[in-house]
Amino acid sequence: MRDVAIVGIGSTQFGRAQWSLLKMMCEASHEAIADAGLKLDHRAWEGAAPGKSDGRRIEAVYVANMGAPRNNKMAGIGSALVDRLNLYPAAADAVENGPASGASAVRHGFMAVASGMHDLVLVCGGERMREVNNLEATEFVSYLSHRYAEYIYGVTLPALAGMFTRLYMERYGVTARHLAMVAIKNHANGVLNPRAHLQTEVTMEGILTGPDAENNNPYVAEPLRFFDCCPVSDGASALLLAPAEKAAEFTSTPVRIAGTGQASDRQVIHERPDPTELTAVRLASQQAFSMADRKPADVDIAELHDAFTILEIVESEEAGFLAKGEGHLALERGETQIGGKLPINPSGGLKARGHPVGNTGVSQIVEVARQLRGDAGKYQIKKKKPQTGFALNFGGFGNNVLATVLTRGV
Amino acid sequence: MANATMAAKCKACDALSYPTHFYCPSCGMQEFEPVPIEGEGKLLTWTRAHALSLDYAQRYITLGIVEMDMGVCVTGQLAIDEPRIGMRVQAGQDQVRETSGQAIYGLVFRAK
Repeated sequence: MRDVAIVGIGSTQFGRAQWSLLKMMCEASHEAIADAGLKLDHRAWEGAAPGKSDGRRIEAVYVANMGAPRNNKMAGIGSALVDRLNLYPAAADAVENGPASGASAVRHGFMAVASGMHDLVLVCGGERMREVNNLEATEFVSYLSHRYAEYIYGVTLPALAGMFTRLYMERYGVTARHLAMVAIKNHANGVLNPRAHLQTEVTMEGILTGPDAENNNPYVAEPLRFFDCCPVSDGASALLLAPAEKAAEFTSTPVRIAGTGQASDRQVIHERPDPTELTAVRLASQQAFSMADRKPADVDIAELHDAFTILEIVESEEAGFLAKGEGHLALERGETQIGGKLPINPSGGLKARGHPVGNTGVSQIVEVARQLRGDAGKYQIKKKKPQTGFALNFGGFGNNVLATVLTRGV
Repeated sequence: MANATMAAKCKACDALSYPTHFYCPSCGMQEFEPVPIEGEGKLLTWTRAHALSLDYAQRYITLGIVEMDMGVCVTGQLAIDEPRIGMRVQAGQDQVRETSGQAIYGLVFRAK
């Protein structure tokens, strides 16, 4: 297998899109292509034989998305993006893997380059959820649950997270205060990220302890409250992949995909031997670290999948950064803040950057790459020259998880 | 009307599974006998969900995971005002959803 580098990154503003899904994906892709200094020569490309071009044209496109057929009345958006960008005859695929579609698409792109099949691959994740209302968005995401054993009962993703959280709190001493601390930290980070969906600070008094907290922060799925849940967001991100040996042709700040891991788990929580364990997070992380020949202790910055505040805490344990039951203690000590020992979600995470579901895994990897390049501006972590980054993309309620280890340079 | 919710009992190894799998999760065989999910159990965890699908007119529903004495774990609705982890519950069947005017029945647990 060949080493694979990220040679260009791009992303839109997250939040409520002013553009169509395809236009958002074009903007993110355009930024990644420009970032790599790649000149598109459409007329020379059209009619070319598909396949390898020695990195002179984009040979394959992987698009990550979950809801286009339902929310945007579009299918086959891999080919639609190729058409809109005039990238013919590039191979085009759309990857649907629920909220883990993004990292799945990156992994497909990685495999295409690592195998030697392709030399230049565009990966783009895009989701436009706010074309439908919030109730419909929650409903479409709840199709991830088991149709007969969960969905018919009114189970939604927040409901699964609520049941998980209650058991976790009971067993490990996590409190509502710890959950609020995740939200406060990630909102503060989001204020520093100009592309974040939510750019407002929240305080412990405002969301938990003050006289107006009940009104500001009502229950969504007890014990989870409004500020424990990510927003419903639109957004797109893109990256360009090339073999490491060609990276210098595109950029002076390549980032290597040093390891990738993916694992699945039982679809319904009640069938898991211990419903507080996120086994697929552990297995995918171990696989990614092993492939990268790195340890969790080597990681300088991590983007974790905090669709619900509890997940940032538990994933920090299952990924190997902290022992089981100690994630909330590290949070209390401030270790996961931007200036801490292990900054988690400096971009604001799903909580504040936003969670355009199918996009998220791509945007996490883009954000880790941005940090390793030193290009994150106000939300750049304080460590000098971070070497190793980690992204965790969580599908379903942990039944399909991808971990990616990134390193600075090639 | 309300048919029982069925678990699958493996004809080879007697293991119960719910929901059904193509192969028995315990031994890998493919022959099953349907077994109604009934009787008592212990509440493992629960939530009161306030953000609901358009199929629900109520302000919230209460959901839980129950470890049944018959040896299978299930997710269902709770008709319980103050659920507590570890409490004893009794399985029953009731309407759990209404989609396009059609009532859907499933497991609803009451306090024992």
